[in-house]
Amino acid sequence: MGYQENFWVLFSKKLSNEATTDELKELENLIKDNSEWQYAIQNLEDLWKHQPAKDYSHEDDAYMLHIHRMKELGVPFGEMPDNQMPVKSKKKRMLWYSVAAAAMVIAGFFLFGSFSGKNKSNKNQIVREVNEISTRPGSKSRVELPDGSIVWLNAGSKLTYNKDFGKEKREVTLVGEGFFDVTKNKEKPFIISTASINIKVLGTVFNVKAYSEDKQTETSLLHGSIEVTIKSRPNDKIILSPSEKLIVENQITSVVTTGFKRTKENITRTAIPDISTLVSINKLTYNPDDSTVAEAQWINNKLIFRDETFSDLAVQMERWYNVNIEIKNEKVAQQRLNGTLETETITQALDALQETTPFRYEKTGNKVVIH
Amino acid sequence: MTENDEIKRLLSTIAFQNDQAAYKELFILLHKRLKQFGYAILKSNEEAEELVSDIFIKIWEKKEKLVSIESPLLYFYTTAKNLAFNRLQKQKRLKSLNPEEWLMQVNSIPLNPEELMMTAEMLNKIKRAVNELPPRCKLIFKLVKEDGLKYREVAELLQLSVKTVEAQMAIALRRLGRCMHIELKTAANLGFSLKK
Repeated sequence: MGYQENFWVLFSKKLSNEATTDELKELENLIKDNSEWQYAIQNLEDLWKHQPAKDYSHEDDAYMLHIHRMKELGVPFGEMPDNQMPVKSKKKRMLWYSVAAAAMVIAGFFLFGSFSGKNKSNKNQIVREVNEISTRPGSKSRVELPDGSIVWLNAGSKLTYNKDFGKEKREVTLVGEGFFDVTKNKEKPFIISTASINIKVLGTVFNVKAYSEDKQTETSLLHGSIEVTIKSRPNDKIILSPSEKLIVENQITSVVTTGFKRTKENITRTAIPDISTLVSINKLTYNPDDSTVAEAQWINNKLIFRDETFSDLAVQMERWYNVNIEIKNEKVAQQRLNGTLETETITQALDALQETTPFRYEKTGNKVVIH
Repeated sequence: MTENDEIKRLLSTIAFQNDQAAYKELFILLHKRLKQFGYAILKSNEEAEELVSDIFIKIWEKKEKLVSIESPLLYFYTTAKNLAFNRLQKQKRLKSLNPEEWLMQVNSIPLNPEELMMTAEMLNKIKRAVNELPPRCKLIFKLVKEDGLKYREVAELLQLSVKTVEAQMAIALRRLGRCMHIELKTAANLGFSLKK
Protein backbone atom coordinates (compact mmCIF):
# COMPACT_ATOMS: atom_id res chain seq x y z
CA MET A 1 0.00 0.00 0.00
CA GLY A 2 1.29 3.41 -0.93
CA TYR A 3 2.27 6.02 1.52
CA GLN A 4 -0.74 8.21 0.73
CA GLU A 5 -3.26 5.39 0.67
CA ASN A 6 -2.03 4.17 4.01
CA PHE A 7 -2.44 7.62 5.50
CA TRP A 8 -6.06 7.88 4.31
CA VAL A 9 -6.99 4.42 5.55
CA LEU A 10 -5.53 5.15 8.97
CA PHE A 11 -6.97 8.63 9.16
CA SER A 12 -10.50 7.53 8.27
CA LYS A 13 -10.19 4.72 10.81
CA LYS A 14 -9.23 7.23 13.43
CA LEU A 15 -12.24 9.40 12.67
CA SER A 16 -14.57 6.40 12.72
CA ASN A 17 -13.17 5.09 16.00
CA GLU A 18 -11.97 1.96 14.26
CA ALA A 19 -8.23 2.40 14.69
CA THR A 20 -6.18 0.26 17.05
CA THR A 21 -3.56 1.77 19.34
CA ASP A 22 -0.80 0.68 16.97
CA GLU A 23 -2.57 2.21 14.02
CA LEU A 24 -3.04 5.47 15.87
CA LYS A 25 0.64 5.54 16.62
CA GLU A 26 1.53 4.85 13.02
CA LEU A 27 -0.77 7.66 11.92
CA GLU A 28 0.77 10.02 14.41
CA ASN A 29 4.21 9.35 13.00
CA LEU A 30 2.97 9.89 9.45
CA ILE A 31 1.51 13.22 10.45
CA LYS A 32 4.64 14.22 12.32
CA ASP A 33 6.69 13.69 9.19
CA ASN A 34 4.25 15.74 7.12
CA SER A 35 3.41 18.79 9.17
CA GLU A 36 1.89 20.51 6.13
CA TRP A 37 -1.04 18.08 6.38
CA GLN A 38 -2.06 19.60 9.66
CA TYR A 39 -4.41 22.18 8.18
CA ALA A 40 -6.40 19.72 6.13
CA ILE A 41 -6.49 17.22 8.98
CA GLN A 42 -7.93 19.82 11.29
CA ASN A 43 -10.58 20.81 8.74
CA LEU A 44 -11.54 17.22 8.08
CA GLU A 45 -11.82 16.51 11.77
CA ASP A 46 -14.13 19.51 12.19
CA LEU A 47 -16.16 18.42 9.21
CA TRP A 48 -16.40 14.90 10.59
CA LYS A 49 -17.75 16.12 13.90
CA HIS A 50 -20.36 18.30 12.25
CA GLN A 51 -23.70 16.59 12.54
CA PRO A 52 -26.84 17.54 10.64
CA ALA A 53 -29.13 19.94 12.44
CA LYS A 54 -31.89 17.98 14.10
CA ASP A 55 -34.92 18.99 12.15
CA TYR A 56 -37.89 16.88 13.05
CA SER A 57 -40.51 19.28 11.74
CA HIS A 58 -42.02 16.81 9.27
CA GLU A 59 -41.93 13.77 11.50
CA ASP A 60 -45.17 14.49 13.31
CA ASP A 61 -47.17 14.42 10.13
CA ALA A 62 -45.41 11.26 9.07
CA TYR A 63 -46.23 9.68 12.40
CA MET A 64 -49.91 10.58 12.07
CA LEU A 65 -50.01 9.05 8.61
CA HIS A 66 -48.31 5.95 9.96
CA ILE A 67 -50.84 5.57 12.79
CA HIS A 68 -53.63 6.10 10.30
CA ARG A 69 -52.19 3.48 7.99
CA MET A 70 -51.77 1.03 10.85
CA LYS A 71 -55.41 1.48 11.71
CA GLU A 72 -56.46 0.94 8.10
CA LEU A 73 -54.40 -2.22 7.89
CA GLY A 74 -56.07 -3.40 11.08
CA VAL A 75 -52.92 -3.59 13.19
CA PRO A 76 -54.01 -3.51 16.83
CA PHE A 77 -52.41 -0.53 18.47
CA GLY A 78 -54.73 0.35 21.33
CA GLU A 79 -55.77 3.91 21.85
CA MET A 80 -54.98 6.55 19.29
CA PRO A 81 -52.38 9.08 20.31
CA ASP A 82 -54.83 11.97 20.54
CA ASN A 83 -56.65 10.03 23.19
CA GLN A 84 -54.07 10.18 25.91
CA MET A 85 -53.17 7.41 28.27
CA PRO A 86 -54.27 8.02 31.81
CA VAL A 87 -52.00 10.53 33.40
CA LYS A 88 -51.39 8.36 36.42
CA SER A 89 -49.37 5.82 34.51
CA LYS A 90 -47.20 8.57 33.16
CA LYS A 91 -46.72 10.12 36.49
CA LYS A 92 -44.05 7.72 37.52
CA ARG A 93 -42.37 7.61 34.21
CA MET A 94 -39.03 9.30 34.21
CA LEU A 95 -38.14 10.13 30.71
CA TRP A 96 -34.88 11.93 30.40
CA TYR A 97 -33.34 12.85 27.16
CA SER A 98 -29.86 13.64 26.14
CA VAL A 99 -29.18 17.24 25.31
CA ALA A 100 -29.73 16.60 21.65
CA ALA A 101 -32.99 14.84 22.25
CA ALA A 102 -34.19 17.67 24.43
CA ALA A 103 -33.43 20.08 21.65
CA MET A 104 -35.45 17.82 19.43
CA VAL A 105 -38.33 17.94 21.85
CA ILE A 106 -38.28 21.70 21.84
CA ALA A 107 -38.03 21.97 18.10
CA GLY A 108 -40.15 19.01 17.18
CA PHE A 109 -43.11 19.33 19.44
CA PHE A 110 -43.95 22.70 18.02
CA LEU A 111 -46.20 21.09 15.50
CA PHE A 112 -48.06 18.88 17.88
CA GLY A 113 -51.00 21.23 17.47
CA SER A 114 -52.20 18.93 14.76
CA PHE A 115 -53.36 16.49 17.40
CA SER A 116 -55.23 18.97 19.49
CA GLY A 117 -58.80 20.03 19.47
CA LYS A 118 -60.19 16.67 18.45
CA ASN A 119 -60.73 15.32 21.91
CA LYS A 120 -63.45 12.79 22.04
CA SER A 121 -66.30 14.50 23.80
CA ASN A 122 -67.79 12.40 26.50
CA LYS A 123 -71.04 13.94 27.57
CA ASN A 124 -71.36 11.86 30.68
CA GLN A 125 -68.09 13.12 32.07
CA ILE A 126 -68.13 14.78 35.42
CA VAL A 127 -67.11 18.25 34.54
CA ARG A 128 -65.16 19.29 37.60
CA GLU A 129 -62.99 16.25 38.00
CA VAL A 130 -59.38 17.25 38.44
CA ASN A 131 -56.15 15.63 37.30
CA GLU A 132 -53.16 16.23 39.47
CA ILE A 133 -49.56 15.39 38.68
CA SER A 134 -46.95 16.01 41.31
CA THR A 135 -43.26 15.30 41.68
CA ARG A 136 -41.46 14.63 44.92
CA PRO A 137 -38.30 16.50 45.85
CA GLY A 138 -35.38 14.93 44.03
CA SER A 139 -37.45 13.66 41.09
CA LYS A 140 -38.85 15.07 37.87
CA SER A 141 -41.50 14.11 35.40
CA ARG A 142 -42.64 14.69 31.84
CA VAL A 143 -46.34 15.10 31.23
CA GLU A 144 -48.18 15.17 27.95
CA LEU A 145 -51.48 17.02 28.20
CA PRO A 146 -54.55 15.96 26.19
CA ASP A 147 -53.90 18.70 23.62
CA GLY A 148 -50.39 17.41 22.96
CA SER A 149 -48.66 20.12 24.97
CA ILE A 150 -45.68 18.91 26.94
CA VAL A 151 -44.88 19.92 30.48
CA TRP A 152 -41.68 18.94 32.26
CA LEU A 153 -42.21 19.17 35.98
CA ASN A 154 -39.20 19.90 38.14
CA ALA A 155 -38.74 18.41 41.59
CA GLY A 156 -41.30 19.20 44.26
CA SER A 157 -43.87 20.63 41.83
CA LYS A 158 -47.56 20.15 41.18
CA LEU A 159 -49.62 20.61 38.03
CA THR A 160 -53.41 20.36 38.06
CA TYR A 161 -56.03 20.61 35.35
CA ASN A 162 -59.68 19.76 34.95
CA LYS A 163 -60.73 16.56 33.23
CA ASP A 164 -62.44 18.62 30.57
CA PHE A 165 -59.17 20.35 29.71
CA GLY A 166 -59.08 21.31 26.07
CA LYS A 167 -62.80 21.03 25.50
CA GLU A 168 -63.53 24.71 25.74
CA LYS A 169 -60.44 26.09 27.35
CA ARG A 170 -56.98 24.99 28.30
CA GLU A 171 -56.26 25.88 31.89
CA VAL A 172 -53.73 24.51 34.33
CA THR A 173 -52.44 25.57 37.71
CA LEU A 174 -48.82 25.26 38.70
CA VAL A 175 -47.03 25.20 42.00
CA GLY A 176 -43.29 24.79 41.57
CA GLU A 177 -41.36 24.77 38.30
CA GLY A 178 -42.50 23.65 34.87
CA PHE A 179 -41.05 23.84 31.38
CA PHE A 180 -43.95 24.25 28.96
CA ASP A 181 -44.07 23.42 25.30
CA VAL A 182 -47.57 24.45 24.36
CA THR A 183 -49.17 23.39 21.10
CA LYS A 184 -50.60 26.14 18.96
CA ASN A 185 -54.34 26.72 19.15
CA LYS A 186 -55.49 30.28 18.64
CA GLU A 187 -59.09 29.46 19.51
CA LYS A 188 -58.20 28.04 22.90
CA PRO A 189 -55.51 30.01 24.68
CA PHE A 190 -53.52 28.06 27.22
CA ILE A 191 -53.67 29.63 30.67
CA ILE A 192 -51.38 28.85 33.58
CA SER A 193 -52.24 30.13 37.03
CA THR A 194 -49.66 30.34 39.76
CA ALA A 195 -50.04 31.87 43.19
CA SER A 196 -48.97 35.30 41.99
CA ILE A 197 -49.40 35.43 38.22
CA ASN A 198 -51.50 34.21 35.30
CA ILE A 199 -49.85 33.42 32.01
CA LYS A 200 -51.77 33.34 28.76
CA VAL A 201 -50.21 31.72 25.71
CA LEU A 202 -51.23 30.67 22.25
CA GLY A 203 -48.44 28.23 21.56
CA THR A 204 -44.83 28.57 22.59
CA VAL A 205 -41.97 27.30 24.74
CA PHE A 206 -41.21 28.73 28.16
CA ASN A 207 -40.27 27.98 31.72
CA VAL A 208 -42.22 28.98 34.82
CA LYS A 209 -40.68 28.83 38.25
CA ALA A 210 -43.24 29.44 40.97
CA TYR A 211 -42.27 27.56 44.10
CA SER A 212 -44.22 28.70 47.11
CA GLU A 213 -41.06 28.90 49.20
CA ASP A 214 -39.18 31.09 46.71
CA LYS A 215 -39.05 34.86 46.95
CA GLN A 216 -39.78 35.30 43.28
CA THR A 217 -41.84 33.88 40.47
CA GLU A 218 -39.86 33.67 37.23
CA THR A 219 -41.23 33.30 33.72
CA SER A 220 -38.60 32.69 31.01
CA LEU A 221 -39.67 32.78 27.38
CA LEU A 222 -37.71 30.83 24.78
CA HIS A 223 -39.96 31.10 21.71
CA GLY A 224 -43.18 32.83 20.72
CA SER A 225 -44.91 35.32 22.94
CA ILE A 226 -46.87 35.18 26.17
CA GLU A 227 -49.03 37.55 28.13
CA VAL A 228 -48.57 37.70 31.87
CA THR A 229 -51.03 39.15 34.34
CA ILE A 230 -49.97 39.73 37.91
CA LYS A 231 -52.79 38.72 40.18
CA SER A 232 -52.42 41.72 42.46
CA ARG A 233 -52.49 44.07 39.46
CA PRO A 234 -55.06 42.52 37.16
CA ASN A 235 -55.27 45.51 34.82
CA ASP A 236 -51.64 45.47 33.82
CA LYS A 237 -50.76 43.02 31.13
CA ILE A 238 -47.13 42.32 30.39
CA ILE A 239 -46.21 40.90 27.00
CA LEU A 240 -42.92 39.02 27.03
CA SER A 241 -40.73 38.69 23.95
CA PRO A 242 -38.44 35.74 23.29
CA SER A 243 -35.29 35.59 25.45
CA GLU A 244 -36.93 37.65 28.17
CA LYS A 245 -37.49 36.68 31.73
CA LEU A 246 -40.12 38.22 33.95
CA ILE A 247 -39.39 38.22 37.66
CA VAL A 248 -42.20 38.95 40.07
CA GLU A 249 -41.39 39.35 43.73
CA ASN A 250 -43.80 37.19 45.63
CA GLN A 251 -45.78 38.94 48.30
CA ILE A 252 -44.11 38.31 51.55
CA THR A 253 -46.19 38.57 54.63
CA SER A 254 -45.12 39.15 58.17
CA VAL A 255 -41.57 39.73 59.12
CA VAL A 256 -38.87 38.42 56.93
CA THR A 257 -36.63 36.91 59.50
CA THR A 258 -32.89 36.78 59.27
CA GLY A 259 -33.24 36.03 55.61
CA PHE A 260 -30.87 33.12 55.53
CA LYS A 261 -32.39 30.63 57.88
CA ARG A 262 -35.28 29.00 56.17
CA THR A 263 -37.78 27.19 58.22
CA LYS A 264 -41.38 26.32 57.60
CA GLU A 265 -42.54 29.34 59.59
CA ASN A 266 -41.09 32.06 57.46
CA ILE A 267 -42.00 30.63 54.13
CA THR A 268 -45.72 30.60 54.71
CA ARG A 269 -47.09 33.40 52.66
CA THR A 270 -50.57 34.63 52.15
CA ALA A 271 -51.71 37.05 49.53
CA ILE A 272 -52.12 40.52 50.84
CA PRO A 273 -53.19 42.64 47.92
CA ASP A 274 -52.02 45.99 49.20
CA ILE A 275 -48.39 45.10 49.34
CA SER A 276 -47.01 46.34 46.07
CA THR A 277 -45.46 43.76 43.86
CA LEU A 278 -42.02 44.25 42.44
CA VAL A 279 -41.71 43.34 38.81
CA SER A 280 -38.70 43.32 36.53
CA ILE A 281 -37.95 42.12 33.02
CA ASN A 282 -34.51 40.66 32.42
CA LYS A 283 -32.68 38.85 29.68
CA LEU A 284 -32.32 35.10 29.81
CA THR A 285 -28.96 33.72 30.85
CA TYR A 286 -27.30 32.05 27.91
CA ASN A 287 -24.46 29.67 28.44
CA PRO A 288 -21.64 31.15 26.33
CA ASP A 289 -20.24 27.74 25.38
CA ASP A 290 -23.22 26.31 23.56
CA SER A 291 -25.87 29.07 23.85
CA THR A 292 -28.23 26.92 25.82
CA VAL A 293 -30.58 28.76 28.14
CA ALA A 294 -29.59 28.35 31.78
CA GLU A 295 -33.19 28.77 32.95
CA ALA A 296 -34.28 25.63 31.09
CA GLN A 297 -31.30 23.40 31.74
CA TRP A 298 -32.95 21.51 34.55
CA ILE A 299 -34.85 19.50 31.98
CA ASN A 300 -31.44 18.15 30.94
CA ASN A 301 -30.74 17.27 34.53
CA LYS A 302 -28.52 20.26 35.13
CA LEU A 303 -28.87 22.68 37.98
CA ILE A 304 -27.28 25.90 36.79
CA PHE A 305 -26.78 28.88 39.08
CA ARG A 306 -25.49 32.26 38.00
CA ASP A 307 -24.65 34.89 40.56
CA GLU A 308 -27.08 33.50 43.10
CA THR A 309 -26.73 33.74 46.83
CA PHE A 310 -25.91 30.57 48.70
CA SER A 311 -29.21 30.80 50.51
CA ASP A 312 -31.14 30.91 47.21
CA LEU A 313 -29.05 28.04 45.88
CA ALA A 314 -29.67 26.07 49.07
CA VAL A 315 -33.42 26.18 48.41
CA GLN A 316 -32.86 24.79 44.92
CA MET A 317 -30.48 22.14 46.22
CA GLU A 318 -33.07 21.09 48.77
CA ARG A 319 -35.49 20.29 45.96
CA TRP A 320 -32.81 18.88 43.68
CA TYR A 321 -31.37 16.46 46.22
CA ASN A 322 -34.38 16.07 48.50
CA VAL A 323 -32.46 17.26 51.53
CA ASN A 324 -32.92 19.89 54.16
CA ILE A 325 -30.24 22.57 54.23
CA GLU A 326 -29.76 25.04 57.05
CA ILE A 327 -27.19 27.80 56.74
CA LYS A 328 -26.14 29.07 60.12
CA ASN A 329 -23.57 31.55 58.93
CA GLU A 330 -25.08 34.66 57.40
CA LYS A 331 -21.92 35.66 55.60
CA VAL A 332 -21.88 32.31 53.84
CA ALA A 333 -25.62 32.61 53.11
CA GLN A 334 -25.10 35.89 51.27
CA GLN A 335 -22.10 34.65 49.29
CA ARG A 336 -22.78 34.80 45.53
CA LEU A 337 -22.08 31.66 43.54
CA ASN A 338 -21.78 30.44 39.95
CA GLY A 339 -21.74 26.87 38.77
CA THR A 340 -23.45 23.82 37.31
CA LEU A 341 -24.47 20.68 39.10
CA GLU A 342 -25.14 17.63 37.03
CA THR A 343 -24.22 14.19 38.22
CA GLU A 344 -22.68 15.20 41.51
CA THR A 345 -24.04 13.79 44.73
CA ILE A 346 -24.94 16.24 47.46
CA THR A 347 -21.62 15.59 49.19
CA GLN A 348 -19.65 16.10 45.98
CA ALA A 349 -21.58 19.29 45.34
CA LEU A 350 -20.88 20.67 48.79
CA ASP A 351 -17.22 19.74 48.50
CA ALA A 352 -17.02 21.56 45.17
CA LEU A 353 -18.68 24.64 46.62
CA GLN A 354 -16.17 24.63 49.43
CA GLU A 355 -13.42 25.25 46.92
CA THR A 356 -14.69 28.74 46.18
CA THR A 357 -16.49 29.56 49.40
CA PRO A 358 -14.98 28.69 52.74
CA PHE A 359 -17.53 26.94 54.98
CA ARG A 360 -17.92 23.79 57.02
CA TYR A 361 -20.87 21.43 56.87
CA GLU A 362 -22.30 18.50 58.75
CA LYS A 363 -24.50 16.00 57.03
CA THR A 364 -26.69 13.66 58.99
CA GLY A 365 -29.16 11.68 56.94
CA ASN A 366 -31.19 14.12 54.88
CA LYS A 367 -30.16 17.10 56.89
CA VAL A 368 -27.24 19.38 56.07
CA VAL A 369 -26.10 22.12 58.41
CA ILE A 370 -23.71 24.72 57.04
CA HIS A 371 -21.52 26.77 59.37
CA MET B 1 -25.31 7.93 25.96
CA THR B 2 -24.84 6.81 22.38
CA GLU B 3 -27.69 6.84 19.95
CA ASN B 4 -27.85 3.05 20.04
CA ASP B 5 -28.26 3.19 23.83
CA GLU B 6 -31.02 5.74 23.47
CA ILE B 7 -32.80 3.51 20.95
CA LYS B 8 -32.34 0.48 23.21
CA ARG B 9 -33.91 2.39 26.06
CA LEU B 10 -36.89 3.34 23.91
CA LEU B 11 -37.27 -0.22 22.63
CA SER B 12 -37.38 -1.64 26.12
CA THR B 13 -39.86 1.00 27.25
CA ILE B 14 -42.04 0.02 24.30
CA ALA B 15 -41.66 -3.67 25.04
CA PHE B 16 -42.23 -3.62 28.77
CA GLN B 17 -44.72 -0.81 29.13
CA ASN B 18 -46.50 -0.88 25.80
CA ASP B 19 -45.58 2.76 25.78
CA GLN B 20 -47.02 4.69 22.84
CA ALA B 21 -45.12 7.86 23.71
CA ALA B 22 -41.80 6.02 23.48
CA TYR B 23 -42.97 4.44 20.22
CA LYS B 24 -43.70 7.86 18.81
CA GLU B 25 -40.36 9.19 20.01
CA LEU B 26 -38.55 6.34 18.30
CA PHE B 27 -40.46 6.97 15.09
CA ILE B 28 -39.59 10.64 15.16
CA LEU B 29 -35.94 9.86 15.86
CA LEU B 30 -35.52 7.40 12.99
CA HIS B 31 -38.09 8.35 10.37
CA LYS B 32 -35.99 10.72 8.30
CA ARG B 33 -32.92 8.54 7.88
CA LEU B 34 -34.87 5.35 7.26
CA LYS B 35 -36.95 7.14 4.67
CA GLN B 36 -33.80 8.45 3.00
CA PHE B 37 -32.33 4.97 2.99
CA GLY B 38 -35.56 3.54 1.61
CA TYR B 39 -35.62 6.24 -1.03
CA ALA B 40 -32.03 5.50 -1.98
CA ILE B 41 -33.06 1.94 -2.85
CA LEU B 42 -36.64 2.36 -4.05
CA LYS B 43 -36.36 5.82 -5.70
CA SER B 44 -39.91 6.66 -4.72
CA ASN B 45 -40.97 8.92 -1.89
CA GLU B 46 -44.29 7.20 -1.47
CA GLU B 47 -42.78 3.76 -1.31
CA ALA B 48 -40.08 4.96 1.09
CA GLU B 49 -42.75 6.38 3.38
CA GLU B 50 -44.64 3.07 3.32
CA LEU B 51 -41.42 1.25 3.98
CA VAL B 52 -40.81 3.21 7.18
CA SER B 53 -44.40 2.57 8.22
CA ASP B 54 -43.92 -1.16 7.55
CA ILE B 55 -40.78 -1.21 9.69
CA PHE B 56 -42.62 0.40 12.58
CA ILE B 57 -45.59 -1.93 12.26
CA LYS B 58 -43.08 -4.75 12.60
CA ILE B 59 -41.56 -3.04 15.62
CA TRP B 60 -44.94 -2.79 17.31
CA GLU B 61 -45.94 -6.36 16.51
CA LYS B 62 -42.64 -7.87 17.61
CA LYS B 63 -41.89 -5.49 20.42
CA GLU B 64 -41.28 -8.19 23.00
CA LYS B 65 -38.42 -9.60 20.93
CA LEU B 66 -36.66 -6.34 20.39
CA VAL B 67 -35.04 -5.90 23.76
CA SER B 68 -32.16 -8.21 22.99
CA ILE B 69 -30.91 -6.45 19.86
CA GLU B 70 -27.22 -5.67 20.09
CA SER B 71 -27.05 -2.84 17.59
CA PRO B 72 -30.50 -1.36 16.99
CA LEU B 73 -29.37 0.99 14.22
CA LEU B 74 -27.95 -1.91 12.24
CA TYR B 75 -31.19 -3.80 12.89
CA PHE B 76 -33.30 -0.94 11.55
CA TYR B 77 -31.18 -0.52 8.44
CA THR B 78 -31.12 -4.25 7.80
CA THR B 79 -34.89 -4.48 8.19
CA ALA B 80 -35.28 -1.52 5.84
CA LYS B 81 -33.04 -3.19 3.28
CA ASN B 82 -34.85 -6.52 3.49
CA LEU B 83 -38.30 -4.97 3.20
CA ALA B 84 -37.10 -2.83 0.29
CA PHE B 85 -35.68 -5.93 -1.41
CA ASN B 86 -39.04 -7.68 -1.05
CA ARG B 87 -40.68 -4.78 -2.83
CA LEU B 88 -38.07 -4.69 -5.58
CA GLN B 89 -38.37 -8.42 -6.18
CA LYS B 90 -42.14 -8.21 -6.45
CA GLN B 91 -41.74 -5.41 -8.95
CA LYS B 92 -38.95 -7.30 -10.74
CA ARG B 93 -36.65 -4.28 -10.39
CA LEU B 94 -33.63 -6.49 -9.82
CA LYS B 95 -31.06 -3.94 -10.98
CA SER B 96 -31.86 -1.83 -7.93
CA LEU B 97 -30.68 -4.59 -5.59
CA ASN B 98 -27.10 -3.49 -6.22
CA PRO B 99 -25.78 -0.86 -3.75
CA GLU B 100 -24.00 0.81 -6.69
CA GLU B 101 -27.49 1.90 -7.77
CA TRP B 102 -28.52 3.37 -4.45
CA LEU B 103 -28.64 7.13 -4.25
CA MET B 104 -27.94 8.22 -0.72
CA GLN B 105 -27.84 11.75 0.61
CA VAL B 106 -25.27 13.10 3.02
CA ASN B 107 -26.94 15.50 5.43
CA SER B 108 -24.11 16.62 7.62
CA ILE B 109 -22.25 19.04 5.40
CA PRO B 110 -22.75 22.50 6.89
CA LEU B 111 -24.59 25.16 4.92
CA ASN B 112 -22.52 28.09 6.11
CA PRO B 113 -18.75 28.16 5.92
CA GLU B 114 -18.72 30.09 9.21
CA GLU B 115 -19.93 26.98 11.05
CA LEU B 116 -16.59 25.34 10.40
CA MET B 117 -14.40 28.39 10.02
CA MET B 118 -13.55 27.71 6.42
CA THR B 119 -13.88 29.72 3.26
CA ALA B 120 -17.02 29.57 1.14
CA GLU B 121 -14.90 28.39 -1.74
CA MET B 122 -13.56 25.45 0.21
CA LEU B 123 -17.01 24.49 1.45
CA ASN B 124 -18.36 24.54 -2.11
CA LYS B 125 -15.56 22.25 -3.18
CA ILE B 126 -16.39 19.91 -0.33
CA LYS B 127 -20.06 19.84 -1.24
CA ARG B 128 -19.21 19.06 -4.80
CA ALA B 129 -16.77 16.37 -3.75
CA VAL B 130 -19.41 14.71 -1.55
CA ASN B 131 -21.99 14.84 -4.33
CA GLU B 132 -19.57 13.32 -6.78
CA LEU B 133 -18.63 10.36 -4.61
CA PRO B 134 -19.64 7.07 -6.25
CA PRO B 135 -23.04 5.94 -4.85
CA ARG B 136 -21.73 3.03 -2.79
CA CYS B 137 -18.87 5.09 -1.40
CA LYS B 138 -21.25 7.91 -0.45
CA LEU B 139 -23.59 5.44 1.23
CA ILE B 140 -20.77 3.95 3.29
CA PHE B 141 -19.48 7.39 4.23
CA LYS B 142 -22.97 8.46 5.33
CA LEU B 143 -23.62 5.37 7.44
CA VAL B 144 -20.29 5.63 9.25
CA LYS B 145 -20.24 9.39 9.72
CA GLU B 146 -23.86 10.17 10.46
CA ASP B 147 -25.19 6.98 12.02
CA GLY B 148 -21.98 5.89 13.68
CA LEU B 149 -22.19 2.37 12.26
CA LYS B 150 -19.03 0.31 12.69
CA TYR B 151 -17.12 -0.85 9.61
CA ARG B 152 -18.16 -4.46 10.23
CA GLU B 153 -21.80 -3.40 10.57
CA VAL B 154 -21.71 -1.57 7.26
CA ALA B 155 -19.98 -4.59 5.75
CA GLU B 156 -22.74 -6.85 7.04
CA LEU B 157 -25.52 -4.55 5.84
CA LEU B 158 -24.10 -4.15 2.34
CA GLN B 159 -22.65 -7.67 2.04
CA LEU B 160 -19.12 -6.42 1.60
CA SER B 161 -15.84 -7.26 3.26
CA VAL B 162 -14.59 -5.02 6.05
CA LYS B 163 -11.55 -4.29 3.90
CA THR B 164 -13.77 -2.89 1.18
CA VAL B 165 -15.49 -0.60 3.67
CA GLU B 166 -12.09 0.50 4.89
CA ALA B 167 -10.94 1.27 1.36
CA GLN B 168 -14.15 3.11 0.46
CA MET B 169 -13.86 5.26 3.57
CA ALA B 170 -10.28 6.12 2.67
CA ILE B 171 -11.39 7.11 -0.85
CA ALA B 172 -14.13 9.35 0.54
CA LEU B 173 -11.83 11.09 3.00
CA ARG B 174 -9.08 11.45 0.45
CA ARG B 175 -11.40 13.15 -1.99
CA LEU B 176 -12.54 15.55 0.72
CA GLY B 177 -8.95 16.12 1.73
CA ARG B 178 -8.15 17.13 -1.84
CA CYS B 179 -10.50 20.08 -1.38
CA MET B 180 -8.10 21.23 1.27
CA HIS B 181 -5.01 20.89 -0.88
CA ILE B 182 -3.65 18.19 1.33
CA GLU B 183 -2.14 16.18 -1.47
CA LEU B 184 -0.76 19.00 -3.55
CA LYS B 185 2.35 19.57 -1.52
CA THR B 186 3.06 16.03 -0.54
CA ALA B 187 2.40 14.83 -4.04
CA ALA B 188 4.95 17.32 -5.27
CA ASN B 189 7.37 16.23 -2.56
CA LEU B 190 6.99 12.61 -3.41
CA GLY B 191 6.96 13.18 -7.13
CA PHE B 192 3.37 12.00 -7.67
CA SER B 193 1.17 13.59 -10.26
CA LEU B 194 -2.44 14.34 -9.56
CA LYS B 195 -5.11 13.02 -11.84
CA LYS B 196 -7.38 16.05 -11.57
